[in-house]
Amino acid sequence: MTTTRRSLLVAAALAPFAAKRATAQPRRVLIGYQLPLTGEFSQYGERFRNSALMALEAFNRAGRLPVPVDIVFEDTRSDPREAVAVARKFVDNREIVAVLGDFSSSASIQAGRVYAEVGMPQLSQTASHPDFVKISPWQFRNITTQAYEGPRVAEWMRENGVRRVAVVAIQNDWGQSVVSNFAEAFRAGGGEVVATQFFNPGNREFRAILTEIARARPDAIYIGMFYEDGAAFLQQRRQLNIRVPVYATSSLYEPKLVELAGAGAEGVFLSTTFMSTSPEPHVRAYVEEYRRRFGSDPNMFSAQAFDAVNILLEAIVRAWPEVTRARVREELAKTRDFPGVTGVTTFDPETREPAKTLARMRIENGQFVLVR
Amino acid sequence: MFDRFDIFFVQQLVNGFSVGLVYALVAIGFTLIFGVLNVVNFAHGEIYMIGAYAGLLAILVLAPPWVALLLLVLAAGIAAGIALERAAFKPFRRFRDEASLKSKAMRESTLLSSLAISIVVRESVEKIFGADMQAIPRAYADAMQEPISLGELAVASGQIAILAAAVVMFATLQWILKRTDIGLSIRAVAANPLGAQYVGVHVDRTVIATFAIGSGMGAVAGLLIGLYQGTIFPAMGFAPGVKAFVAMVMGGLNSIPGAVLCAIVLGLAEAVATEFFGQGWADLVAYVFLVLTLVFFPTGLFGAGRERV
Repeated sequence: MTTTRRSLLVAAALAPFAAKRATAQPRRVLIGYQLPLTGEFSQYGERFRNSALMALEAFNRAGRLPVPVDIVFEDTRSDPREAVAVARKFVDNREIVAVLGDFSSSASIQAGRVYAEVGMPQLSQTASHPDFVKISPWQFRNITTQAYEGPRVAEWMRENGVRRVAVVAIQNDWGQSVVSNFAEAFRAGGGEVVATQFFNPGNREFRAILTEIARARPDAIYIGMFYEDGAAFLQQRRQLNIRVPVYATSSLYEPKLVELAGAGAEGVFLSTTFMSTSPEPHVRAYVEEYRRRFGSDPNMFSAQAFDAVNILLEAIVRAWPEVTRARVREELAKTRDFPGVTGVTTFDPETREPAKTLARMRIENGQFVLVR
Repeated sequence: MFDRFDIFFVQQLVNGFSVGLVYALVAIGFTLIFGVLNVVNFAHGEIYMIGAYAGLLAILVLAPPWVALLLLVLAAGIAAGIALERAAFKPFRRFRDEASLKSKAMRESTLLSSLAISIVVRESVEKIFGADMQAIPRAYADAMQEPISLGELAVASGQIAILAAAVVMFATLQWILKRTDIGLSIRAVAANPLGAQYVGVHVDRTVIATFAIGSGMGAVAGLLIGLYQGTIFPAMGFAPGVKAFVAMVMGGLNSIPGAVLCAIVLGLAEAVATEFFGQGWADLVAYVFLVLTLVFFPTGLFGAGRERV
């Protein structure tokens, strides 16, 4: 109650100046970034901040706007309650024109409700839950979901002549979305899903599933799981001497997969949006600078944040000189063919879901190699 | 229906048998300790995990030959078992009077103390090594993960190693129990701790010996299974521990041959179930078996005999 009254008072007091500000240029443009800097997800927040600072400094150095852009970082521990508190703080700061974050879908969604009410553009680098962009037209994300990846993998398999496929996925919301999105697209393309198996999280014994799949004689196996399960699966496939090619979700792109699965990982196909060993010059420049400044290799999460910040900065440039929350939202929705380190990104103006180029990879001699 | 009984079905039986052997390896030590103390040792899964980590450290630091590696892990398991007994079980045996020795509450407090130790140990390992799966040096992993083709069937070298380990462990344990003095005292304490004490059996020493033997075997099982599955991580003891528990209850709580047999039946049933339902349902099989056994055979399938352990 007090907050509303106070913000009303402030708004009333500022009204004469606000009118003037629209014509006079602001001294700086301010962005809020809510992210986990402490707690169990702090390693992700750390990576987001590193990437954001890199993107911001490069942007200000290039002098694309006559005034500097600044980012305010606020720690939420990726806890939905703290995310809401930070969101309130950000919307009360009239200087902030747009917000980045949060990390998890649940924190992003809770904060998103606050932003939807007030009208603040929000761009999350990682919130992949389907409901996130459905909150209001103010929510954006630059991470793809299975609704995007599944059909792309289905298409890739068709190109490689796969007609019959067996699908194995982890039994949770995400695993379900892997199977449904892929299977629908694969069937639509005339293919046949000959076996579908879900396994309980924590299960690392896949021999029974593999034997059951082998009986169906598929041309390929599609697996939706994380790298630890994937390593066990691939090893056991090799032990059972099942020579069917395996396609995997991008979640298996992790160097440790090869370490754990050894020879079992050979020949696996998978797609990804970010590859730290990519030969593309702008990706190499990013990876090298990140490594130099922070002493570690950037991963998919760092890269997602780097692109999110740059996408938002581009929208601000297009909105200039009228950098208001509404204008930034409008310009974000117009993001087309943004050349990021995680691929070329386009936002659908209606659903605000991103479309990206997915790179195709194959594991050869223990290395992730780009497939042309 | 009958088109199901093809070569893949046979392969499924082979898979199930090897899963059953994994459960059996864990169940042997578990049941031995239960037979003597009449209480579940919830930390057995952690002994199993410690065995795998001790072996992995030995591999990384010393890269010893296999025999030395197994002896090292056996020693680590024995040490861990004795430490566990000292921390979680001994304090509850300090009252010597008959009422305390017979008291259910006394026994059941060790249920919680062993659970507490298991959580502390697991979390500590997680803090030191991280919660993710450890990479295993290829030379050792490959030795256990090499595919072997038998006609159209395929097994892994590790499955044969685990079969051999199960046979050796089972035979050694039977030999210890039936042919040695310490085995005689273990059987005496298992049958009647008070009676054993009255005829001069050193109960404390016998209990410690039981933990040493059971935990040594648990640790070796942990290493072998960890290498064979390629999955060494802090929570690795949980899933096989639960199945070993089910096998133990089905087998009649204190019959080691019964537990081994039931473990194999359980593994086979899970694999065959995958033929008919999704694998996600296969876990259900173990619990359905457990409930059926408890309803129709409250003393277990092999628990009717008077001889314990």
